[in-house]
Amino acid sequence: MLSRRDFLKRSSLIATAPLIPGFIERTAQAAEPGKDTILVVLEMTGGNDGLNTVIPYRDDEYHKLRPTLHFQANQVVKVNDELGMHPALQGFGQLLQQSKLAIIQGVGYPNPDRSHFESMDRWQCGEVTAKVSGTGWLAKSVPDLAKGKGGGVPVMHVGSEKLPLACRGTTQGVFTINQEQPFELKLGLPGSEEEKARKKLLADVAAVGPDEKGDDLLPFVQRRHLQTYTSVEKLKEILKDQVRDQARYGYQPSSLFVKMDLVARLISQGFGTRVFYVALDGFDTHSGQAQTQQNLLQQIDQAVTNLFTRLQSTGDDQRTLFMTFSEFGRRAAENGSKGTDHGSGSCMFVAGPGVKPGPVGRHPSLTDLTDGDLKYHTDFRRVYATLLDGWLKVDSKMVLGDKFEKLDFLKKT
Amino acid sequence: MSKPALAPLDKLDPPAEWAAWAPAKGQWDARWAAHLYRRAAFGAARAELKDAVAAGLDATVDKLFAAPKETPARPRLITTPPPVNPMTGMPDSTNHAAVLQAAWLQRMIDGVEPLREKLALFWHNHFATSIKKVNDAGLMEVQGDLLFRHALGSFRQMLRDVSRDPAMLVWLDSNQNVRSHPNENYAREVMELFTLGVGNYTERDVREAARAFTGWHQNSGRFTFVRGEHDGGPKTFLGQTGDWDGDDVLRVLLEQPGCAKFLARKLYQFFVNENLPAPDTFLAPVADAFRKSDYDIAVPVRMILRSTHFYSAYAYRQKVKWPVEYAVGMVRMIGVGVTGRITVNPYSLLGVLELMGQQLYAPPNVKGWEAGKAWLNTATVLARHNFAHSLVNGMGDLNSHAKKYNLQTFFPAVNPLAFVLREGITEPGKIVDLYADLLLPGDFRPEVRSKLVAHIGDASPDTEAFAQRCRDALFVLLTLPEYQLN
Repeated sequence: MLSRRDFLKRSSLIATAPLIPGFIERTAQAAEPGKDTILVVLEMTGGNDGLNTVIPYRDDEYHKLRPTLHFQANQVVKVNDELGMHPALQGFGQLLQQSKLAIIQGVGYPNPDRSHFESMDRWQCGEVTAKVSGTGWLAKSVPDLAKGKGGGVPVMHVGSEKLPLACRGTTQGVFTINQEQPFELKLGLPGSEEEKARKKLLADVAAVGPDEKGDDLLPFVQRRHLQTYTSVEKLKEILKDQVRDQARYGYQPSSLFVKMDLVARLISQGFGTRVFYVALDGFDTHSGQAQTQQNLLQQIDQAVTNLFTRLQSTGDDQRTLFMTFSEFGRRAAENGSKGTDHGSGSCMFVAGPGVKPGPVGRHPSLTDLTDGDLKYHTDFRRVYATLLDGWLKVDSKMVLGDKFEKLDFLKKT
Repeated sequence: MSKPALAPLDKLDPPAEWAAWAPAKGQWDARWAAHLYRRAAFGAARAELKDAVAAGLDATVDKLFAAPKETPARPRLITTPPPVNPMTGMPDSTNHAAVLQAAWLQRMIDGVEPLREKLALFWHNHFATSIKKVNDAGLMEVQGDLLFRHALGSFRQMLRDVSRDPAMLVWLDSNQNVRSHPNENYAREVMELFTLGVGNYTERDVREAARAFTGWHQNSGRFTFVRGEHDGGPKTFLGQTGDWDGDDVLRVLLEQPGCAKFLARKLYQFFVNENLPAPDTFLAPVADAFRKSDYDIAVPVRMILRSTHFYSAYAYRQKVKWPVEYAVGMVRMIGVGVTGRITVNPYSLLGVLELMGQQLYAPPNVKGWEAGKAWLNTATVLARHNFAHSLVNGMGDLNSHAKKYNLQTFFPAVNPLAFVLREGITEPGKIVDLYADLLLPGDFRPEVRSKLVAHIGDASPDTEAFAQRCRDALFVLLTLPEYQLN
């Protein structure tokens, strides 16, 4: 029950507050954002060359297989006496030193498919059969993700490519944000008197809305409305800040850096989203790989470094993990065009203060190959299961249809 | 104001709840008539609401059932295979899908057979099949016609036809169901989602049923029985043994008492309440009547729509409006031009419906839309608000989703103030009441009313500023939490 005193208190707040911000006071209890764990997923589209990402630089076989594309011991970012990372991954090296980076090696799935689409579908659906269900693993996680306190949009895709399959198959709680589709209430010409008057009316009426506490439908709807208004305002502020900073630092709005920066701002503003999905295309390096991969990995390195720097300032790094995946790795041996062809078996990164640092599993042998490909030893669904159960508190059996043995890359909580 | 919680359904007396409601004089009013039209149709337009109140409960329900029980197939809209997308070189049914979606929305808006359309939507969600996999709008249209034809007819016949429906056969991989490697997809879903529900069959039943359906294939969009791929051997299914084929499986499924219970529960969730768990004992009168009628769908539906229970707090505003209910209802009530006739082009709804989370002919998966509270998250609430604003103001929804379907996707001919103009009402309080009586009869909170009246203020009624403020008030009415509930 809303007491008369509460009501008066609210009314006066609304009356003195300029416009919508009056809501924020009310939704502080309604939304309870900012305490759930978060996962940021990066899709490395095109099939990243895992062998030149996590490099067995002491292995003579590596240098034989990669006569023009190899890195020497003094070039790589050292992981240990055998392994190093691509020279572009300087920031990842620092994350490792700070005990915030896990490197999962030899990841794949049975009977690998070398088609981009077939293989990507399996990773995106968390299924390994030839015909996938068409429902993404993150979409399947939505029911459990939505149980978090935020209650807004459990999964958000940041980018202007079409919604990734990982997020498809649920109409609930998945949202794309990009330049063409800003998240805003369109109530007339922005900044016009009419728009202001409409917003004020909406705010006034919401302020005398039904009590938002309780399990009945009406309080539920009122709660969702208040959360929406708050989210819109928050996002507006975030985007305004971001545009200002973009101009200052000269990043392209479509760059990975800006997308991940937006993710960081959304997290630290308590937006309530549990999973963010970002993609970076261009890893299909059949020729001239050195330059392309250098450029792409550098983008990732900078974007991830910025993500955690920003999150650290608010302490939100503690509840955030970042993971990478790609539809497949590439052939062990380079081709004749200073590139590599489609392969299988690759590595994944998981970063954040919540990880147990260092390599997980051994690097796949370079002499014991299958059809010229690295042999995988870790099913990617084990990585998903570990993150779902151990980090996001989502029932991995519901998502993956089966129980998978967990990997040891998360700190005990 | 928070209301006292409703007692659980197992505390109620089923026969009394399902008995036909006999309203005392004056009890049957606009509030209940609007409730019936929201559930059994897509909302009542102004004249319909007036007629329903005048005619009384019995006559109104009879009118909803008045259409023929089984109607002939409609003329086909899609007569060619999906065109090839020049970008990808692959067949692409996006444009054909838009034609189908718009045509269905237009039928909902027209409201010629609203109850049957509503049930067609129910069955579309029940036998949820998506064009995204079928990728042939012609097949989806055939399935849609099938569901509409049987929507208030025989479930036995509908199940028989659905099991041979080419879109369904594509959707659930029936061509992979061959004697040497039975594919269990259809066999599982026909039990889990179409007739019995989880827990009422074993994995062995699934395997045996899959064998019975082997050879039920489609070829070039037609059902075909491939004898060479059919496993003619004996199967033991739900305790019965024989050389069953698919029709035997369907017969045995309909013999199960659990089937009518399962369907009665889904009808309850659709028509009455989607939040309270309904125990078998409570639903027994509905399920029993359904089974006794040999699965005549009109029987349980009429029982529900006439029941005392349906006209109680257990049903009233106890469902979240589906996106199509929100959009179509709004169009039927206020999407009118100066003459008072509906002027909204259904194509202009496709983009906004996608943003609200519901694309007809494209449910997210075989379970259908999740519905209920899941319809509302911050993104879809935003989409509902923005749609209401565009419609009321006759503005475009010019986001990329809308553009994808139709460049002309705005509502320029809409003038929701037509009612006010025609009746010559100029007093803000009366204007607000007129719209509240149409959109929220019986549910208009005085504190909201006073805000809206104050907003319209005392500008001269023939100014644009005044009209604009009336539209603002109307917009806010459409965004109220109550209005999101059906």
